[in-house]
Amino acid sequence: MTDLPLPFIQVLQVLTVAGGAPGVTGFTAWLEARLQGRRGPRILQPYFDLAKLFGKESLVPVGAGPFFRIAPYASFACYLTVPMLIPVLTSYALPLGYMGDILGGGLILAFASFLVATAAAETGDAYAQLASSRAKTFAAITEPVMLLVVFTVALITTTDLPYVLGATVRSGPDQIVRPAHLLAAAALFMVILYETGCIPIETHTGTTEFGMIEAGRPFEHAGPDLAMLHWGSAAKQLVLYVILLNVFVAPWGMASTTSAVAVALAIPAILGKALLLGCVIAVLDNSYAKLRLFKITEFVSAALLLAVLAVFTLYLGGG
Amino acid sequence: MVLAVSQSVPSVFDGIANTVALIVLLLEFGMLRQALLRGQVRLYAAQSLAVSVLAAVVAFGRDVPELYVLAVLSLLLKAVIVPLLVMGLLREASEEIAGSGALGVANEVLISIPVAAFGFFAIGVLGIHSAVLPTAALSLSMAVVLVAFILMIVRRDVVSQAIGFFSLENGVSMASLVVAAGMPLILEVAFLFDLLVAVVVFGVLMRTHHRRTQSLSTETLDSLRG
Repeated sequence: MTDLPLPFIQVLQVLTVAGGAPGVTGFTAWLEARLQGRRGPRILQPYFDLAKLFGKESLVPVGAGPFFRIAPYASFACYLTVPMLIPVLTSYALPLGYMGDILGGGLILAFASFLVATAAAETGDAYAQLASSRAKTFAAITEPVMLLVVFTVALITTTDLPYVLGATVRSGPDQIVRPAHLLAAAALFMVILYETGCIPIETHTGTTEFGMIEAGRPFEHAGPDLAMLHWGSAAKQLVLYVILLNVFVAPWGMASTTSAVAVALAIPAILGKALLLGCVIAVLDNSYAKLRLFKITEFVSAALLLAVLAVFTLYLGGG
Repeated sequence: MVLAVSQSVPSVFDGIANTVALIVLLLEFGMLRQALLRGQVRLYAAQSLAVSVLAAVVAFGRDVPELYVLAVLSLLLKAVIVPLLVMGLLREASEEIAGSGALGVANEVLISIPVAAFGFFAIGVLGIHSAVLPTAALSLSMAVVLVAFILMIVRRDVVSQAIGFFSLENGVSMASLVVAAGMPLILEVAFLFDLLVAVVVFGVLMRTHHRRTQSLSTETLDSLRG
């Protein structure tokens, strides 16, 4: 049994997220198309799109500064920093795993989205600016929900390191059925639905005009820059899926040793779990009508309700 | 301090019971959000089902066989008969959408959260300990009652108010499960028949109101003055 060095596993976590993310996006898009009775794009289509975009040249609008070119790469780097902090392949913490907690990971994700929004503001395009201003507005609305979810985690585990919560959930069925855990997981799931641009107002590919939040921001980018942004948003989606799955809902199937076989088995396990979650999300996405843009407060208030109740039940000693 | 976070994890039974009680509360919030009258009746049926499930869980976990009878009775009455009756009344009224509430949905939820919290903590500090169910379930049932009040206050149509009243009864029967699970069955059944009386009264109210004003909205009642 060969043991892998810890830094190598850490790099492998990042590579799994970077390599698997377009596949998960492609699978979800394909399944959604099938559910709607269309043939849909191939599952590997996002990879082909990325390859095509990387072969083109980058164009910059007149008047946009160097920040416009840097932002896609910087935000992509942010999205790939988070897999170092969260349990992707291993159930034990890797050397950099204690570098940041859930709040730290959320901060890095928010910073990446800030970079993209600022780059959109560099251009004179009304659509890109509208999309980024909407993205920032609604991010501010979902922020309290995220904070309350983090508080719940902190109350359950007395820390907010993702590895600890995963271990707590694995420790027995009494931790799984406790209402605080279920509510926090449900609230996080609703936030993820919003953050990955599924429900309530956007479509997965985000081309309807009114909900064009995620898809509107990179309007002015071209070539490799656009590829980085697309790849980055796929990676962000997979990172959020991994947080939900490996920390909250199903922290099983991860490597508990450093042996090469266990780690190698953990890669298809997490990708398989992410595909299952993708199935659930595609079905949900197809069973609800899209809301009007300003109905989003109702969706977020439901998520807030779940998160608040999670904290309440904990304080009552029944959580 | 009484409300300090307890580090003890509730047992699996307590966890399940709390989760079911929480589902009852969440369905109450669902009624607050639901704009379709039929959807509201369906949510009420689901809530009654959850209360019956809670009774069955207690019966199984704490070995109180009478509660099985109560679970079956309340399932039949509250999850089947009452919703069917209300649905029948709705069919006659041929109205689909509840008159919009006095407030927007997000505001209603935001108001209900502190009210529910008040119910939670007001019961929590009393320190009532029950032999069969965790105290959190009692607090949750109080929250259900208070949110049902909010539902009856902010909605301006007869059906929502009736459903609010019926779901308030769900909250009360959940509370009775916690504080007096061993209550004589005959009393519980008497409560259930109280509900039937309420259904008859609200049915008459709905019909009369609809016949006189051609709508289910109570807004028109204001204009009858003078």
